[in-house]
Amino acid sequence: MSEPSQTIYVVDDDEAMRDSLTWLLEGEGYRVVCFDSAEHFLLARRDEMRGCLVLDVRMPEMSGLELHEKLDSLGSQMPIIFVTGHGDVPMAVSALQRGACDFIEKPFSDEDLLSRIRRALELDCELATQRERSHALSHRIEQLTQREREVMQLVVAGKLNKQIADELAISMKTVEAHRARVMEKMGVRTLAELVKAVMSLS
Amino acid sequence: MAGTAGTAKNQPMFIRPPTSFPGKPWLWLAPYIAIGIFAVAMFAVTAMLQWRELDTARSALEADMHWAERTIENRLHQHQDFLGELGREQEFRQLDYEGFQVKTARYVRDNPDLQAIIWVNTEGKVEWVAPNEGTDTFVGEQLEGIRLHALQEALRIRRELYSPDYPDVAQKRVHDLIQPVQRASSDLGAFIAMQSLEMLLRTSLPTSFTTRYNLTLVDAGNRELLSNTSVKPTERELSGTISLDLPNNRLGLNIVAYRSGGPWFQYLPALMIGLLTLIATATLVQLRRHAQHRADAEEELRAAYAFRQAMSNSLITGMRAIDLEGRITFVNAAFCRMTGFNERELIGLKPPYPYWPPEEFEQLQHNIDTALAGQAPASGYEMRIMRKNGERFDVRLYFSPLIDTAGRQIGWMASMNDITEPKRARVELERAHERFVTVIDGLDSAVHVADVDSGEILFANRAFQNIFGYNTLGRDSALVTAACRPAPEALEADPLVLSAEQLPYELFDGEIQHALSGRWYHVHERVIRWVDGRAVRVQVAADITEHKHIEEVNLQQQKRLEQTSRLITMGEMASSLAHELNQPLSAIANYCAGCIKRMQAGNYRFEDLLSAMQKAADQAERAGKIIRRMRDMVKKGDPKRLPIALDEIIDEARAFADIEAQRNSTQIQVDMADDLPRIVVDRIMIEQVLLNLVKNAIEAMSDVPVERRRLTISAHEVDGRMLEIAVTDQGHGIDEADAERIFAPFYTTKAEGMGIGLAICRSMIEFHQGRLWLENRREGGTVFRFTVPCEATGEADGESSDE
Repeated sequence: MSEPSQTIYVVDDDEAMRDSLTWLLEGEGYRVVCFDSAEHFLLARRDEMRGCLVLDVRMPEMSGLELHEKLDSLGSQMPIIFVTGHGDVPMAVSALQRGACDFIEKPFSDEDLLSRIRRALELDCELATQRERSHALSHRIEQLTQREREVMQLVVAGKLNKQIADELAISMKTVEAHRARVMEKMGVRTLAELVKAVMSLS
Repeated sequence: MAGTAGTAKNQPMFIRPPTSFPGKPWLWLAPYIAIGIFAVAMFAVTAMLQWRELDTARSALEADMHWAERTIENRLHQHQDFLGELGREQEFRQLDYEGFQVKTARYVRDNPDLQAIIWVNTEGKVEWVAPNEGTDTFVGEQLEGIRLHALQEALRIRRELYSPDYPDVAQKRVHDLIQPVQRASSDLGAFIAMQSLEMLLRTSLPTSFTTRYNLTLVDAGNRELLSNTSVKPTERELSGTISLDLPNNRLGLNIVAYRSGGPWFQYLPALMIGLLTLIATATLVQLRRHAQHRADAEEELRAAYAFRQAMSNSLITGMRAIDLEGRITFVNAAFCRMTGFNERELIGLKPPYPYWPPEEFEQLQHNIDTALAGQAPASGYEMRIMRKNGERFDVRLYFSPLIDTAGRQIGWMASMNDITEPKRARVELERAHERFVTVIDGLDSAVHVADVDSGEILFANRAFQNIFGYNTLGRDSALVTAACRPAPEALEADPLVLSAEQLPYELFDGEIQHALSGRWYHVHERVIRWVDGRAVRVQVAADITEHKHIEEVNLQQQKRLEQTSRLITMGEMASSLAHELNQPLSAIANYCAGCIKRMQAGNYRFEDLLSAMQKAADQAERAGKIIRRMRDMVKKGDPKRLPIALDEIIDEARAFADIEAQRNSTQIQVDMADDLPRIVVDRIMIEQVLLNLVKNAIEAMSDVPVERRRLTISAHEVDGRMLEIAVTDQGHGIDEADAERIFAPFYTTKAEGMGIGLAICRSMIEFHQGRLWLENRREGGTVFRFTVPCEATGEADGESSDE
């Protein structure tokens, strides 16, 4: 089930849709917040918001796709379920290609929507965990000295100690010392873990 | 030949007349004065001569008279002496009878003027008579009368004396010379000589004298006694009188000279002179008159020459005379002007002339040869000649024979016209005509002109001939065009009764089907005045079969297009309708699902469920409305035009357009008066048009800021028959170039869409006798306007305005 912090944000210009969705989702025990336009949602949005976005594609003024782009540019990772009408399929596909999470075509069955919402909320959880982990990682990297960071990058790039020593014009021993300290500070035990951590950050 | 040329030069035409004398009328008086002086002089001379002649004659007469006087006196004295001698002999008795006889007879014989000498006694008794053979006096005869009286007088005075004359037995005048004889103091008697006065004149004066003069004897009483001739001279100018004083008597002799040559003779010279003067004067007058006539003729000639010279100079026709050999004898000013050569350069030249262009030599030589041979064509020669400066130009040359006063031909006169301009004009005219014919023949329309009265075809172009057959000129138009001709009752008027003032007159303008070919023609016929003044019917028949066909096809196509348009519009609408339908359907589904979930879970409040179900029902109704609108739209059938309020149509269109408008967050504003009349239209069509325009307007504003996305629908009445509806957007506007094209079928400015919309819209509006057009607004955006007929104000019945 959903975490208590998660909320379902509904953005739809049609009042009946907002109302009926609220009725349906609240019946399932979700917390639902409705916005009648993308602009209003943007005004209310916070980075720490958790949950998913049920977004109508066709809306006057800012459409669902535009809002999606806007959220992307803001770095939001909140999963989005596009609600499309008949004939909007190609548009939805292009939205998916840009990394939207899901779409559902009207009219939809309640189970269809609910399963997608569940999946989206799970994704939201995963993303939140991932966000926490990378947050920790980056915190570790910040603790590295300048030299240690240079060494780490060369290590991740697959250079041998000798090569690193030549490149940075330091001795092999110093390289090994830096390397040990990087492994320690980053909390990894093997080279593979280090590479993975650095990759996940980049 | 030189003579011929000389003759030619003597042509009066080319001779300059003598220059005019200055007028001196007194010159003409001189001959008259001379003649007058001559006549006066002649008269004077003649008079002087006559006077001198008269003077001579008078001198001769005086001499003759003197001589005659002396001669007669001598003879009388001789007789006196003889008688005196006889007297003395008697006195002294010496004389006897015999002696008397001898002596006296001889004396009488010698003097024929004496008839006899007698001796009478004192009583007057004749005693002796000598000669005794005489018969006048006899012895013994007694004197009596004046003879005796004279005797007694003589005896008394005792002196000889002459008796008055008396007539003798022969009735001749005779007088007696009486010599008395005395002895001592006694009278013895007297001797008497009987003297004949006629014989006295005849014997004493010679014949040469008597023939020259008229002699008349007169007595003392101046009585005429005798004359030597019976002819009485009329002129007494040359005359004189001799007085013979005889003792006791007196005889006068009047002498008148005969005039030689008659009385008029002296006037003859004067007469001759007068006559001559008259003749001279008359001649002079005649001469003067002739001279005047001549001067007049000269004046006329000069005037005529000046006139001809002026004419010749002012002529634009060049004139050139040549003699029979071709030598130029005359050119006029125009000819010189045209050729550029002056007269001196041309006169006397023989062919080839200097104005012949070298390239034309052969032709021109041939021309001049034929012309000189008298075979010049009446139409003249058209030829190209050369000016002095080498410029070529075209002329036409006409030849005519040059005839002198004697009627002989002395050459050829040629007139030359510069036909460069006429030729160019003719060529232009021909070209213009050619162009005209080409244009007229190039027309697809059949054009023909026919006389109104006779129907005779005066002109027909190629298209006409293609339709109605060739060789139609001159034939009756009614027969030729029988298959395709407006019926007489279809004409605006009977062309035969049209007056000249009414022309041109539109006779017919309409479409006619050719009875044989079945083709359609648009026939336009009018009566006009033809080039020669008569009234003609001009008919232009344009083949409109294709046009008609296309029209029909177009009509069908438009119907299909409309149908297609409905389908397309429907298709376009389907997606939005689907979306629109999805909305309530999804809402219904959500409400239902929510209810179901709650009821399954068991934790629900009845009020909540009721509320949700009511909302679901509302949404179902909403869906129903959408479906109904769609059904209306798709409804098939012919357009029906019924009166309907504009608001209804706008509301319905808006209902559809709202979906789109909401999606584009466009505001739709309706701005119209309340009291607009109802419009008489097919509501679906107008709804479609309106919807189309609204959708276009919405799309046009999709890329402008949201606050400007405002769309206005307005309507107002135009001239009581139409309503004008305007759909105004504030979008990007439309290029001028696109402004008309967007109405063409399959033209679109949109990336998607078939571009069928506006074309269909326009044809739908035009179906309603309306118009559809667009205007760009200055402040940006576009206004689409269309008009549709409205119900006539004040009429309740909508059908009456259904037109």
